[in-house]
Amino acid sequence: MLLGVMFLAMVAMIFINVPIGIALAIAALLGQVSFHGTNSLVTVGIEMYRGATGFALISIPMFVLAGAIMNAGGISRRLIAFVSAIIGFVRGGLAMVNIGVSLFFAEISGSAVADVAALGSVMIPEMKKRGYSAPFAAAVTSSSASLAIIIPPSIPMILYAVSANASVEQLFVAGLVPGLMGGLGLMFVAYLFARRYNFPVEKAFDFHDLRTTFVDALPALMLPVIILGGIFSGLVTATEAAGLAVLASVVVGLWYRDFDLKHLRESMLDGGLQTAVVMILVAASVLMGDLLTVSQVPQKLAAGLVALTDNKYLILMILNVFFLVIGFFLHSAAAIILVVPIIIPLIETVGINPVHFGLIVTLNLAIGQQTPPVASVLITSCSIAKADIWETTKVNIHFIAVLLTVLMICTYVPAVPMFLVDLIYGTP
Amino acid sequence: MISQFRRTLDVTLQWVVIGQMIALTIMVLVAVFYRKFGASLSWYDEVASVMLAWITYYGAALAALRRQHLGFDGVLLRLPIPIRMTAVAIAEVLVIGFFLILAWAGWQVLEVVGDENLISLPWISVSFTQSVIPIGAALFVICELLSLPESWTAARVGRSLEHPEPHMTRS
Repeated sequence: MLLGVMFLAMVAMIFINVPIGIALAIAALLGQVSFHGTNSLVTVGIEMYRGATGFALISIPMFVLAGAIMNAGGISRRLIAFVSAIIGFVRGGLAMVNIGVSLFFAEISGSAVADVAALGSVMIPEMKKRGYSAPFAAAVTSSSASLAIIIPPSIPMILYAVSANASVEQLFVAGLVPGLMGGLGLMFVAYLFARRYNFPVEKAFDFHDLRTTFVDALPALMLPVIILGGIFSGLVTATEAAGLAVLASVVVGLWYRDFDLKHLRESMLDGGLQTAVVMILVAASVLMGDLLTVSQVPQKLAAGLVALTDNKYLILMILNVFFLVIGFFLHSAAAIILVVPIIIPLIETVGINPVHFGLIVTLNLAIGQQTPPVASVLITSCSIAKADIWETTKVNIHFIAVLLTVLMICTYVPAVPMFLVDLIYGTP
Repeated sequence: MISQFRRTLDVTLQWVVIGQMIALTIMVLVAVFYRKFGASLSWYDEVASVMLAWITYYGAALAALRRQHLGFDGVLLRLPIPIRMTAVAIAEVLVIGFFLILAWAGWQVLEVVGDENLISLPWISVSFTQSVIPIGAALFVICELLSLPESWTAARVGRSLEHPEPHMTRS
């Protein structure tokens, strides 16, 4: 009963625009005072400090920083030239290039908003110039940028791993195949659009051009090799790889002579601010977590649902619908922090692998970034394209359908995301 | 006068956050190389975690000054103006009230841990590392108050600070 009131109070606070992390903390504080009296107020100081000191979360500022440093124009331009040489000869080539470069960028940056801001400002004006409509340019940029949170490294995956006590490295491995599937699916839909609307071919395939652009882009292409190679080979942890990503992005920036102290300063600030905004949520979730532990609500919820059905595929379907719906209204970080700790006992009870479930959650939230009203990636993309959100959404539905198909495949054929995990880390 | 103070605070907090980010980055990189050469740094985990907490709370104050915390104003901006402005006032009281409690609680904690030191670096006191809670919370309140006039005006005219671009209308 009390927790129900707390939940309603939290929703009411979110609706009047109390920041989500602070609404969570206030609701938890109310619950704590109701359970333990006003003497427990002092513990809020300890818990909000403890919540902000999670060692695994140190990779978040590092990956955000690496992504921000990589956002310098020269790196995007070289990647675009290289991917254009690979795929520009196909009809609708520029849309394909947009998706292909997003795949590369996703392997460096952990944030889809960073991805869309970096690539959209280059790709969208170019697409519009070549005759693509603004809603189509915005839709293809937005949906392909969401691959950034499926393909490692991924900030939502780090948050999930901490919330669910799962392995960040295994989650990163699990995201690779679905991310590539999503990229190919988006390219296929873009090709169908290109055929239907007669979008232009960029240039004929030229091996010499491919070689030249490859050599030029090689330093930038080494970044995913360092990040993913380091993690997947077990040479470094996710946090260490994040630190190395920062170092490598500075070196690549210096190599391309794109790097200046002003850009580094802005990147540092961007990294610090984004980290703070997410970490306040994480710290508040620790306060709420203590209350959930005392009240045993997640365990009771799990027992209640399992009493209705213990079919894990049915439960996964219910959870998919649930996460898709909350993705309409919550940012991915907030959705993970608020919901995952409550859901995890259920996942463990019905025998779903937490890494597999983490991938499902991330995919749902990638779709949520595309669905208004709260759709950070879509809104950024529309803002750059000066496109109407609803017109863009009408086009984007086709790309969202691809992401939904990948979600269904990954949910019901666990081998698709998990076979690489089993291969590298062994079958549990 | 107030806008000058706001600008100074913004710039000061920017440099505090940038300094902390530089320190954390150097710490992580040095720790990687030390571990690879078989000499892991004993203090790394503890000190890097403290640095993360500092970035969290000093960065949160700056994010409050710029109204960049994750929120949802979709419902609020659709309310009639009198109800909307009452809701904004309630939201501000809640946020400021929470951080005042946090500042007080953080201060109480400092008195409790007064003579404790970090495990890995005994010459650093816990009260120094945890001072971020009362200081960060107090800064948050100041930043929230300084940015209130702008957010109040934005709410009154129905402008979203979350996604301010003009293309939200259904055409």
